[in-house]
Amino acid sequence: MGAYIVRRLLQSVIVVIGVTLVSFLALQAGGDPTYLFVSERASAEEIEATRRALGFDRPLHEQYLSFVADLTRGDFGQSLSYRQPAMEIVLEALPATIELTIFSMILALLLAIPLGVLAAINRGTAWDGSITTMSMLGQSIPSFWMGIMMILFFGLYIRLFPISGHVAFLSPLLAGDIGTAFSNLPRTLYHLVLPGIAVGTYSLARNTRLVRSSLLEVLEQDYVRTARSKGLPELRVLVHHALRNAWLPVVTIVGLEFGFLLGGVVVVETVFSYPGIGRLLFAAINQRDIPLVQAGVILLASIFILLNLVVDLVYVRLDPRVKLTGGRG
Amino acid sequence: MKIRTVPLRAVIAGCLSTSLLAGCAQQSDDTIVVGLSADITTFEPGMISSRDNANIARHIFGSLFTLGPDGEHIPELAHTLEISDDGTGYTYTLNEGLTCHDGEPLTAEDVAYAFNRIADPANRFTGNSPGFVYTSIGFRNAEALDDLRVRVNIAERNPIAFGLITELYVHCKDAYEQMSLDEAAANPVGSGAYRLASWTRGSEVVLEKVREPANFERIVWRIIPEASTRTAELIAGNVDIIANVVPEQVEAINGSGRAEVQIVSGTRRMYVGFNLSEENASLPGGDAIQDPAVRRALQYAVDVPTICRQLLSVECQRATGLVNLENANQSLTPYPYDPGEAERLLDEAGWPRGEDGTRFSIRMQAGQGRYVNDTNVVLAIVQYLEDVGLDIDLELMEWASVYTPLLRERSAGPLFFLGTGGGLWSPIYDMTDIARVGSGTNYTHWSDPRWFDRWSDMVNADDPDDQRRIIDEMLEVFYTDGPWLHLYFQPDFYGVSNRIAWTARRDEHVEIFEASLR
Repeated sequence: MGAYIVRRLLQSVIVVIGVTLVSFLALQAGGDPTYLFVSERASAEEIEATRRALGFDRPLHEQYLSFVADLTRGDFGQSLSYRQPAMEIVLEALPATIELTIFSMILALLLAIPLGVLAAINRGTAWDGSITTMSMLGQSIPSFWMGIMMILFFGLYIRLFPISGHVAFLSPLLAGDIGTAFSNLPRTLYHLVLPGIAVGTYSLARNTRLVRSSLLEVLEQDYVRTARSKGLPELRVLVHHALRNAWLPVVTIVGLEFGFLLGGVVVVETVFSYPGIGRLLFAAINQRDIPLVQAGVILLASIFILLNLVVDLVYVRLDPRVKLTGGRG
Repeated sequence: MKIRTVPLRAVIAGCLSTSLLAGCAQQSDDTIVVGLSADITTFEPGMISSRDNANIARHIFGSLFTLGPDGEHIPELAHTLEISDDGTGYTYTLNEGLTCHDGEPLTAEDVAYAFNRIADPANRFTGNSPGFVYTSIGFRNAEALDDLRVRVNIAERNPIAFGLITELYVHCKDAYEQMSLDEAAANPVGSGAYRLASWTRGSEVVLEKVREPANFERIVWRIIPEASTRTAELIAGNVDIIANVVPEQVEAINGSGRAEVQIVSGTRRMYVGFNLSEENASLPGGDAIQDPAVRRALQYAVDVPTICRQLLSVECQRATGLVNLENANQSLTPYPYDPGEAERLLDEAGWPRGEDGTRFSIRMQAGQGRYVNDTNVVLAIVQYLEDVGLDIDLELMEWASVYTPLLRERSAGPLFFLGTGGGLWSPIYDMTDIARVGSGTNYTHWSDPRWFDRWSDMVNADDPDDQRRIIDEMLEVFYTDGPWLHLYFQPDFYGVSNRIAWTARRDEHVEIFEASLR
């Protein structure tokens, strides 16, 4: 397994470099970013001086190679708009998004499993119909609209939850300030409820359907029939025999979904004024702050790759048929 | 064991307080909360460029003089100004007993250091001060004459130098000499009435009172990008002032009983530009707009009052040119909406309708999401222009990364929609957009000698009456044959909590010195 992990990590380096190249080219495709960093009254000489100062006067390949060379030294460059180390700014925003992602995924999983099981074991009944319909609705409602509606109802009319904002838990915890972290925790959770639901609803709906369909498929298998014919209680058949195998696709989706959510919660972060990495990168893209975008992209790509690896390893634990060869095929 | 006990106690205390939070919407009386739409990127005085960023910085960094809501001159860190006979030396005398936020005395040496530091090319600053103020005034250097007198040297006589120097942030030499540029960006050591207490990037900035004229002990600037969320926070009583209220939410705020919307006619001039460059002249329609008669005809084609009423929910202040109305040529009146007159003038200019009803085709470019209801305003303008026979090829673009570079290259157009910030303190400030044919802000490439040949006379006129006469003559040329289709001064919408007495300014400055509890 060790060799497999090492091989996968080496492959990851190539993937990360590919990701940086694509994002670099995509940002450059929008034209010369210099104009975003000069006053509208700047003269041609001043524009040229700024272009030189920011390094945009060099050929593209030179800019990229210089970036990669700095990268190998652990230097992600300075954010052009914040004038501070780019990775520092990204890492500052990451904990808030991790809090939101974990909260929404826990919320989604805690509800998706019982709802999916309930729908599967009551296939064709009103339970099944209701849960399936609600799941489809959950997947159809745009998260920003849901966010705004929740703000109006829970934040403004019944005033049960805060409308926007964030109270940090992970940041002080990671900084070693355990007292502050845990004293913040109730307020952190309190501020996470509405954005967490807005983010988690889609996952909840999809996972519910996934658990349902996966369980339905497993329940048709011969070994389940065998378990039942041995006279095992239905609950034991469900939990010990069916659910364990139904987990496989769920684990895959959930693992990858965590990565998607980290970078993809930008709309919800905007609606709830949540200072996470999605909003930061969205603003950086608009500002063409290339070092900041690159730092964010590298970090998110690395997390995504790592999650993929973890999913693969968990798969082996869940399904003894799967072997980690790492070779072709 | 102890490590576990402390968090547990903290959790319990937090839980108890959390249960009370939902009902605790009222702010403390010594704190005012302002909701901003854009994130703050820096507190480096040489890098600050956005209005929101500048509004916060204004409370941290003092300036020598400031401009009041109506453009009046107000002494701040300095009490007197002497301008040299040749107009290139501005000597300010500072108040005695000034201090920096680090406790050090603030002297003329600090001011000179701060101004020269911003100009230092080694620092590669690209904010408003080096990129706009220094460029506009031809900043040479600043020198301390003694402890209290500082002299700012500029290249040549400039009637708007005083107003522009008010935009420079005074910061403190000892502190900044000890900080790296990275550190300075997040740790401002200023001379203003408030100092930075905390900054949570993307979330909030908290300022603490240092001295008068601060009315509140704390100002909390919260970053709330989504307009409806800002409105909800205002109505819930969690925020006292919000900027950029969208017109559709005015009724909800006014009907809440908790806050009201103040609508002011801003100083930002909204217009459709005619890009008269040679490149554009070769594009479809680009040749037509070279003729001033065509440009004049189109002034009658757009129903600006209806656009304002329907899309901006207000009666706008109409523009007669590029100068705010207080300082404009008072003999000029806004062009009326008269499509018949527009058609007649277009016929006369040699652009009759063709068989398909079209006079000429032309491209119009515009950015999105920058100004109040801009996309709908642009769509309405296009419809009005098409009604008089133009065939418009509209290109709506992402503002920052696509439209801005076009503007800066001065290649947007042939028709383009834009709003540029203005001021109330000098007509020349507003006119400076088109100070030279090659100015970075002359996006139109307009080159009428009746305007540009008068510039030097106007700037150097010693007699104010002479200067005013020249200005009026120039503005008349701009009105009749200029490169802008004059629209309106952008209305600005602020939501203000009923617990606060505060009047919105027209120049987009949000100054909390002027706020108090009711």
